[in-house]
Amino acid sequence: MVALVIALALFFDFTNGFHDTANAMATPIATGAIKPKTAVALAATLNLVGAFLSTEVAKTVSGGIIREGNDGIQITPDIIFAGLMGAILWNMITWLKGLPSSSSHALFGGLIGAAVAGIGFHAVNLESLMQKVILPAIFAPIIAGGVAYVCTRVAYALTSRHDPETGSKLTQKRGGFRTGQIFTSSLVALAHGTNDAQKTMGIITLVLIAAGTQDPGSGPQFWVIGACAFAIAIGTYAGGWRIIRTMGAGLTEVKPAQGFAAESSTASAILASSNLGFALSTTQVASGSVIGSGMGRKGTSVRWGMVGRIALGWLFTLPAAGIVGALTALLVKTGVVGVVIAAVAGTAAVLFMFFYSRNSAVGHHNAVEVEEAGQAVRFAKKKALARARAKAAKANEPKDTQR
Amino acid sequence: MKWLELLTVGVATLVAAVTVVVLYSLGVRLTAIAGDRQASTPVWVRYLAYVCFGLCGIAVLFGLYLIIPYFSG
Repeated sequence: MVALVIALALFFDFTNGFHDTANAMATPIATGAIKPKTAVALAATLNLVGAFLSTEVAKTVSGGIIREGNDGIQITPDIIFAGLMGAILWNMITWLKGLPSSSSHALFGGLIGAAVAGIGFHAVNLESLMQKVILPAIFAPIIAGGVAYVCTRVAYALTSRHDPETGSKLTQKRGGFRTGQIFTSSLVALAHGTNDAQKTMGIITLVLIAAGTQDPGSGPQFWVIGACAFAIAIGTYAGGWRIIRTMGAGLTEVKPAQGFAAESSTASAILASSNLGFALSTTQVASGSVIGSGMGRKGTSVRWGMVGRIALGWLFTLPAAGIVGALTALLVKTGVVGVVIAAVAGTAAVLFMFFYSRNSAVGHHNAVEVEEAGQAVRFAKKKALARARAKAAKANEPKDTQR
Repeated sequence: MKWLELLTVGVATLVAAVTVVVLYSLGVRLTAIAGDRQASTPVWVRYLAYVCFGLCGIAVLFGLYLIIPYFSG
């Protein structure tokens, strides 16, 4: 059972990696700052480094959402197994749909569902749930979006150049932002590694402690750190191209200056939140930033339909992963046969989704249409741009225009 | 509820992001001015641009110093 849970946890780490590549690398890919392949390789390396850099957080994974300790209940490997199953399946579904959704919420949802089914409702700490999951889910996109909006306005205001005499626009020369994006996106990838790889490390450590092979209160062992770091890095390198497409081109068209602003906001939000003790989800911060930067630039439209779909996805993350987790927990309760059935069914579902995704492959070659976005800034071909935009507007009728 | 923490995170995010973006944007702007064809712009503009990029880099490194517990913890 312990081995099974560890394998599952590592697989969750893998899905987490490829689910979240988009957070760091969608905008630089969209603006052509980095070639897609290079981008995911860079993100993978930085995730690896990030995972090794910080191992402080290990026991805060379930972080009091499920009552533990003396007066609460003991989390068993069974519960963790069921929770992971829920999280992985939900991650796969959202990936298939190309929706950026929070991997940590999926994990929380799965664990909560498993705990409710396996132990009972009293196992869940509602106040903690509110504080750790629901409020951050509301405020993460708002904070990140607001900051990205301000940053985009500032970036454009500072770099807009007019001829002092005639007042006509000069060449804007904002190409420098594209170079800057390489650094900001790297920062996001690194922050992601320091945050997300730890969740899996924490889970595996929890299982090892529960199984009695490790002393309570000790940190993750080295092989656990290494395995998690590599799992998340490989996952990142595999690249969630579907989600990259959504983030890079589905929400709004991203220009280098916008991308730079969005990524600085994402990086600082993650950084601030992980330092000041109010955990925000990387995915939600990144999506909020992209939307905010889209609203900050004149003449850019935000595709609110897509935003709505993503928000809906977030709303369902917790309950959906919870239901799968609960079902798995019920199965596992029945004994060894139940565990086998759950494992086989889970593997089958993952394989099915993988092969189903083959039907409409989204790879590095077609994730985002790069050339238009990349060139638009250097050569301000206003008319061509306007024409392209009109065509795009015609192509997606049901969208509102924002400024 | 941790409203205070929420507010702190929001403000810290804003300050950090705006700092980086302002410095980098100034850098970009000054580079653009220095690269203009009319050579009336003084030489120091280009150096000022480098200073901006440098300060921006320092701000980012400081951020890194903060996220990595190995250094700050």
